[in-house]
Amino acid sequence: MKAISPSIKKNKLTRYAIILLLLVYSYFLWLMIKITLQYWPIQTDVAFLSIKQDYIHLLHYRIAFFIHVFSAIFVLLAGYTQFSNSIRIKFPQWHRRLGWLYVVVTLLFAGPSGFIIAIYANGGLSSQIAFCLLAFLWMLFTAMALFKIIKKQVSSHKAWMIRSFALALSAITLRAWKYVLVAAFHPKPMDIYQIVAWLGWTLNLVIAELIILNKIKHEYQTTI
Amino acid sequence: MSIKQLFSLSLIALVSFACDQNSSKDAKEHVITEDVQNIDKEKTLNAEQKEKVQHKTAVAKDVILSLYVGVFRSKKMNDKKNPMLENKISISLDSISNDVLFGHSVVAGNNRSFTGKFIKKDGLYIAECKEPGDDKYDGVFTFTLNPQDESIKGAWTSNDKKLAVTERSYDLKKVEFKYNPHQELGDISVEVYQSSNANTDEFERITSDAGKFNASTTLLKKEDVENMYKRDLEVMRNAIYARHGYSFKNRQMRNFFDAYVDWYIPVSTDVSKDLTDIEKKNIDLIKRYEKHAETYYDVYGR
Repeated sequence: MKAISPSIKKNKLTRYAIILLLLVYSYFLWLMIKITLQYWPIQTDVAFLSIKQDYIHLLHYRIAFFIHVFSAIFVLLAGYTQFSNSIRIKFPQWHRRLGWLYVVVTLLFAGPSGFIIAIYANGGLSSQIAFCLLAFLWMLFTAMALFKIIKKQVSSHKAWMIRSFALALSAITLRAWKYVLVAAFHPKPMDIYQIVAWLGWTLNLVIAELIILNKIKHEYQTTI
Repeated sequence: MSIKQLFSLSLIALVSFACDQNSSKDAKEHVITEDVQNIDKEKTLNAEQKEKVQHKTAVAKDVILSLYVGVFRSKKMNDKKNPMLENKISISLDSISNDVLFGHSVVAGNNRSFTGKFIKKDGLYIAECKEPGDDKYDGVFTFTLNPQDESIKGAWTSNDKKLAVTERSYDLKKVEFKYNPHQELGDISVEVYQSSNANTDEFERITSDAGKFNASTTLLKKEDVENMYKRDLEVMRNAIYARHGYSFKNRQMRNFFDAYVDWYIPVSTDVSKDLTDIEKKNIDLIKRYEKHAETYYDVYGR
């Protein structure tokens, strides 16, 4: 079994690519932590909230917003551990523990709170639908992944987890798209917001499907 | 020269009165008697002449004492100090007393009083007025007021010869200033200097959005302002101040309102007490979005 473990088959180039990817990921995670800390200690008149003053008086909005901000950051930790074959094989208990953290945070905290603030999203109906759909699909995919692993259907679990994490990553990709498109085209603030509300996660899902297809192909080839 | 006589008489009276004010009580009595004498002398002027004089001073006051606006153009400057070539200036002539003129000018966020003598020559009023001299940018105005075409033409020289601009000229027209909340920016789309340094080549566009709403008459909602560029928001907010005649310290805003808004007349350096409730609310809202745009528009985050 050990002989065909993918981690050993990896060549040097892939290793460097993974290290680079983890460094880039760490950089964006650092940015996300800084964004989160803007709201600590809890303030209702800073950053994003400065333009949400029409809703900030709503108690459920306030609760949802702060739950989302301070819980969602933990979901991104999964990027370090959950997709590594070696960690999963060497420390399966840690894969499970962090997996539970991801599922609990997503399904009980970050997901539902995300859905509530999505209802009040900036940029009108279009972005409200985009963010509500994002929150709904994120919870759905995460629940599917949990369901599959309880049923011991590992490759299905992997596929749903990849989809779920692709949506979790929208926190990073949405902001990255905004940054790039603003630098390139100087669009108006709400025009760009409406664009990234969709672009920020749909493209992630397309890439997730490509990765899943590639995995299936790869597994098919190795089984032969 | 009955007018001259009258002027000199009253001048003597004034000067002697002023001189004697600080001296002893005896001197005061002396002044009073002299004043009485003056009045007696005045009485000796025939009624016709007197009427004529009174009529003339009334006309003079009516013609002279008003507000004049135009461009304050630099004549002598130091290019290394980033001089402002043109500013809109308003000169208000506030009162006259004999041959002394009292007024004030408002330009580039600076409201300064001036005092000086004037003479009347060929139907024109020629004045030389000094600013108090306790401000870095104080100087001397020399101008000719033409009551016929209601204009003021003249020059200004700075006291401090090390300033970026040491001499300016102006050709001002008589105007009336009245706050009118309905004054609109209209469909404005221009490029303004991005920085306060006029020597740079960086421009920033003010789009027609800046004039989309009149923030003095319409209570704005978040939907109205959330999709606007920071610069447009800034112009929309400052249009409120402009309607009240605020003279901008901020160079970019001054550039814009001076050059592109023809109804704009700078008459005050503090309009905060004049703002209406709608305006105050809109200023708060717009500022919030300006600040947000400035902090977050082109950065990764929120």
